[in-house]
Amino acid sequence: MAEETVTATFDIYRYEPGKDAAPRYDRYVLDLPPHTPVLTALLKVRAEIDPTLTLRYSCRSAICGSCAMQINSKSRLACEAAIGPELARDGRIVVEPMRNQPVLRDLVVDQGPFWDNYGKIQPHLILDPRHPMPEGRENPMTPAEVDRFKETPRCIACAACYSACPAVEADPAFPGPMALAKLYRFVVDPRDRAQQDRLVRIQTEGLWLCLRCHLCTEACPKDVRPSERIRDLKEMAIAAQGATEQGSRHAVAFKENIRDRGQLNEMKLARQTFGPIGLIAQTPQGIRIARKKPELLHAPHAIEGQDEIEKIYEALDDGKTKEDLP
Amino acid sequence: VKLAYYPGCVAQESGKELDMATRWVAKALGIELVSFPSFSCCGSGFIDEANEVLNVALNARNLAIAEKAGLDLLTICSTCQGMLTLANLRLGDAKVKARVDGALRPLGIEYRGTTKVKHLLQVLTQDIGLEAIRAKVTRPLDGLKVGAFYGCHLLRPADEMQWESAEEPHSFEDLLSVLGASPVYYRGRVMCCGFPIQFVKPATASKIAGHQIDDAKAHGAEAMATPCPLCHISLDAYQNQAAKAVGHALDMPVLHLPQVVGLALGASPDELGLPRHLVSTTAVTDRLRARA
Repeated sequence: MAEETVTATFDIYRYEPGKDAAPRYDRYVLDLPPHTPVLTALLKVRAEIDPTLTLRYSCRSAICGSCAMQINSKSRLACEAAIGPELARDGRIVVEPMRNQPVLRDLVVDQGPFWDNYGKIQPHLILDPRHPMPEGRENPMTPAEVDRFKETPRCIACAACYSACPAVEADPAFPGPMALAKLYRFVVDPRDRAQQDRLVRIQTEGLWLCLRCHLCTEACPKDVRPSERIRDLKEMAIAAQGATEQGSRHAVAFKENIRDRGQLNEMKLARQTFGPIGLIAQTPQGIRIARKKPELLHAPHAIEGQDEIEKIYEALDDGKTKEDLP
Repeated sequence: VKLAYYPGCVAQESGKELDMATRWVAKALGIELVSFPSFSCCGSGFIDEANEVLNVALNARNLAIAEKAGLDLLTICSTCQGMLTLANLRLGDAKVKARVDGALRPLGIEYRGTTKVKHLLQVLTQDIGLEAIRAKVTRPLDGLKVGAFYGCHLLRPADEMQWESAEEPHSFEDLLSVLGASPVYYRGRVMCCGFPIQFVKPATASKIAGHQIDDAKAHGAEAMATPCPLCHISLDAYQNQAAKAVGHALDMPVLHLPQVVGLALGASPDELGLPRHLVSTTAVTDRLRARA
C-alpha cells in the first residue's frame, strides 16, 4: 500500500559567491511521506529538478557529521531531521548553510577556520619521553578513567555547535565549543602528559570568552554538552594556574566578593576584576550608569547569617575541583 | 500564591526598578512574597566556574531556607533561576551531596530537595494563568511591537531546566499578547546578551548585545522585554557601548518583565522605576498615554 504523503514546501538557500550578486531562496514543492529526512528531500531535488544544488553529505546515518545545516533556523543534521515536525511547526522548510563560516556554494561552507581551531588544541596524546608507551602492547585505561571523558568521545565534528555559538560570531579569538570539548577530552586523559601546559595555554587562547549560554549544548546532535565541559576546563585552569587572566580573575574576584557580605558588591567587583589601572577605562561608563542607578556606588549590607557563608567557604574553598572528589 | 521571594543581587542594588515592579505586580495579582534577609547570591555563573561544589553549597543553603518555611522559591532573574535549578539537580550526585552536606550539617542546615524553583515568568503563565492576567489588564499595550529576550539560563540546558522548548519558547510571547502587545519573533530572542564577558572582553560583549538588539529591530520591535536583570544591564545600561560596537544608533527601550506587565495593569512609570533606565522608555509610555 502506498504511504500517505504530505505536500512539503522547501525554501533552499542558493548562492555562488563571485557569480551571484546576492543569495536567493529557491522554492521546491514535493509530495513526500512525513518521516522523510530533509537530506533525502534535498537529494531528490538534486536528482530530479536541479542538478546544481550543492550540499555536503556522506553516511546518511547521523555519524559522519557532514550534513549539518540550518533547518528552519536551527542547527540540525539534515539526515536526521524529518520533514513532518518541521512542516507541522513552521508550515514550510527553510534550508540554509551553517552560520559563522563563509559560504562556498549553496549549502556548503568553508570549514577551514573550524578545523584550524581544532588543530590548535593539539588533538592528540602528548606523551612524556621519560614515560614511554609500554613496548609491544597498548596503553590501557580503566573503565573509571574512560568515564572521565563524559560525553566528549561522541563528538562527530559536525560543527553544529560552532554554527550556533554567539562568541564565535562576535570574536575570532574564541576557538569554538567543539575545539574546547575536545581539549577537555585530552586534559582528563590519564595517558596525556601535557595537562598543565594545555590548561595554561588555553587560558590565553580564548577559554574565557565562552558565554556559558549553552547554545552549543542545545545545538549538538550527539549530546556532547560542550558548555558543561568548558565550565570544567575553567575550574581546572584556575586550580592549575590561579587567576592569571582577565576571565579567571573575574570568576575568582566574584567568588571572593560574595564571601564578604553574602551578596554582590558591584563597585568592588569592578575594582577587583579590572585592577586600579584597568578601572580607569571603565569609569566613564560607571559614572554614566550610576547617575541613574546610584546604588552601584554603595556597598550592600551583609546578609543575615553571613557567618554561615564564611564557614561554607572555609569548608569548601580549598582549591579542589569536582574532579578531585573521592 | 505564596512564595519565598529571591530577588537576587542586582534587583536589590543597581537594578532596583526590577524589585519595585515585581512587588507592584505581585500585589496586583495577589502573589504573596515572603522575604528572607538571609538569602545569599546565587553565584551568577561565576562562582560555578571558580568552584562548582562551593556554588552548589551556597544555593543548597538558599534552597534550605525556603524549604524550612515550606515554600517554593520565586526568582526574577534568568541566571538565578538557572543556578538554583542546577543546584537542585547537581545535589542528585551522591558525591557532591556528601561534600555539601559535610559543610552544611555543622551549621544546622538541612537540604532535602523539596523546594521548587520558579521564575516569575513561570508563575505568571502557569500559576496565575494568562486568563486571570487578561482580566486585570486596564491599559492594553496598544499593539506595541515587543521583542521578548529570554536570557540563556531560563531556557538552557533544556533537559535540565525542564520547562519549555529552548529553541521555540512561547510563554513570554503568549503573555505579551495577553497584555495587548504584538510579540515579535526573531532569532536573537533565545540568544546570549553578552553579559558574562562584559568584564572579560567588553568590546566583544557589547558586539553580542548589539547583534541581538539589531535583530529585534530588523523584525520590527519597538521595545524589548527581558526576564533577566543581567540581560537588562547588557541591553540597557551598556546599550551605548553596543551601539558603538555595531557602528550605529540603537535607541531601543528595554523593559523588565514585571514592568511590561505593570504597565498593562495600570501602574505609573514611576511606580515601575522606568526613569531609572539608561535608554529612555518614553517611546513606550507616550504611546500608552496617547491612547488613554
